[in-house]
Amino acid sequence: MTTNQIEWRIIGETVPGASHIRAGIPNQDAILQVRESGRSLPIILSVADGHGSPKCFRSDYGSRFAVKKSAQIVGEFLDERRGNFDLTEIENRGKDYLPKEFVKKWRKTVEYHLKNNPFTDEEFKKLEEKSGANARKLIEENPLLAYGTTSLTVAMKEDFVLYLQLGDGDILNVSETGKVMKPLPEDARLLANETTSMCLPKAESDFRFSVQKISGAQSPALVLLSTDGYLNSFSDEVGFFQAGTDILNMLAAENGFDAVNENLKAWLEEATQMGSGDDCTVGIIYRPDVLKKPDTAEGSEIAAESSVKSQTEEVTAETPTSLLPVSTENPDDVTVTITIKKDKNKISAPPTVTVNNSAQESAKSADKNAEKESE
Amino acid sequence: MEMKRPGGELASRPLHFIWIADSSGSMGDDGKIQSLNTAIREAIPHMKKVAEDNPNAQVLVRAVKFSNGAQWHISQPTPVADFAWADLTADGETDMGKGLELVAEQLKMPPMSDRALPPVLVLVSDGQPTDDFEGGLKALMEQPWGKKAVRIAISIGQDADPEVLQKFIGNSELKPLAANSPEALVKHIKWASTAVLKSASSPAATADVPAGTDTANVPIPTVAAPTVGTPNDGAQAANAGTPNGAAQTADADNQNTVDDVW
Repeated sequence: MTTNQIEWRIIGETVPGASHIRAGIPNQDAILQVRESGRSLPIILSVADGHGSPKCFRSDYGSRFAVKKSAQIVGEFLDERRGNFDLTEIENRGKDYLPKEFVKKWRKTVEYHLKNNPFTDEEFKKLEEKSGANARKLIEENPLLAYGTTSLTVAMKEDFVLYLQLGDGDILNVSETGKVMKPLPEDARLLANETTSMCLPKAESDFRFSVQKISGAQSPALVLLSTDGYLNSFSDEVGFFQAGTDILNMLAAENGFDAVNENLKAWLEEATQMGSGDDCTVGIIYRPDVLKKPDTAEGSEIAAESSVKSQTEEVTAETPTSLLPVSTENPDDVTVTITIKKDKNKISAPPTVTVNNSAQESAKSADKNAEKESE
Repeated sequence: MEMKRPGGELASRPLHFIWIADSSGSMGDDGKIQSLNTAIREAIPHMKKVAEDNPNAQVLVRAVKFSNGAQWHISQPTPVADFAWADLTADGETDMGKGLELVAEQLKMPPMSDRALPPVLVLVSDGQPTDDFEGGLKALMEQPWGKKAVRIAISIGQDADPEVLQKFIGNSELKPLAANSPEALVKHIKWASTAVLKSASSPAATADVPAGTDTANVPIPTVAAPTVGTPNDGAQAANAGTPNGAAQTADADNQNTVDDVW
């Protein structure tokens, strides 16, 4: 098999945290998949965890902006190098350019949102009730703090996998044999709920970045991205790693995709209820070809193709109508083709922008405004 | 098609609550040690109630005592539902530094895990340290979980050293609580073990925070009790702000003026 024939499939889900539900706090996680067409690469998967601190009272927006901007920046970066992949150049250039550009674009998006949706008296009142008057001062000094979020992004190309992460959360690689490893180094600063963040002044210098070469079967069979609510739901890291191996084995079974896809939400709900109580988000990219025996692969492929068109679901976090912005998007948002869909298999429909139902109208409105401004 | 959940055992996040109690000889004067035993014993049901309210945090309680040296008084991190207080007795010096060293040793990783919630450390003392307090505090603060811990201090009587206790707290916005009577001690112990515990296990405390934007990892409820230097146990408490229910209860309790005994 040549690397050009590698097919990757994606499954993703996000659920609100059990303790968030008890406290009436919305899901502040977000997940986004970007694929320009059914079969082509790159395929980009991004998750983000908006901080739950009362000071980060717009972090559900911050996380959604993060997944969009990250996917956009990484997509553009790879597109510029289409057909000419010098891994050394990508590594050297990417580790500086991507964090810097991503942070710049995320800040621009937040500032645009804030300009159209200034902080309200009610937001400040709630903040002061929860965190005191000094918290308001902190927000006034650094309004980005209200939108604070982490970001984890993986991009698959024919010859390599690109990893980009800021803050807590986990990216796992699972090999064909089920061996689990982390492609990015640990960050010792991430302890006791403190995390590096998109909202901090030196965010671009806190990213972790890596490029992993793929050579034929020498690639991860599965890559799992998760927000920290999932890892923290296991009694130890071994149990979390086991989830990576178990999911790989489940996918390798007959109708594995459907089974995992249908059950993932319930698994995450169980995890947050029995475990951390935090929002839980998991994105999975895997290679069906290394999981299945050659004599069964073709049949599965046909079955998969037949279920594509009617099977797309959104996976962004729910946002209460009361929090909807008048205009959410920076003009740059419409320059990337985005699908926010839970991919049953390969997306063959034209790329679209899909936001959750309640936010859809405002997003459309924002897109129209953005198009006008772009003109 | 329902499938078995992937991965290992699920578990709520551990929240370690550690009493660091002075059992020096002076604690035997005027019934102080008996009052401390009573106060902690009375607080336990309230701690259990707070823990039940947040099933995503597993509250684990234990205690260190210091006098001539320091020992674990209750060494096992005990689920609060199973926790029972064993009475302390008073004797010897005030080796507070050694008490902090013992705690520091247990806050290393391992035995601590990085998925824990910030621990709550409550230091109770009636006197001046007689050993190397600074060394003990340094050992504690060298541990990441020592630095991230919620540190509360309660002084018993007039001979306690507020400066030492303030150093232990390490946050100028939070002062040591002064207990100059058995009633005040009960209230402060109850506040530390309910209002603080409630805050430490709340969604806000378990939520991610951008690094460096908080002076404390856990939002500390407004102190609904007098701090060191207050002439009696009632006046300041009546004016204290109370952001949550537990503190409000303490506030109401404090409206009765209590005479200084110690």
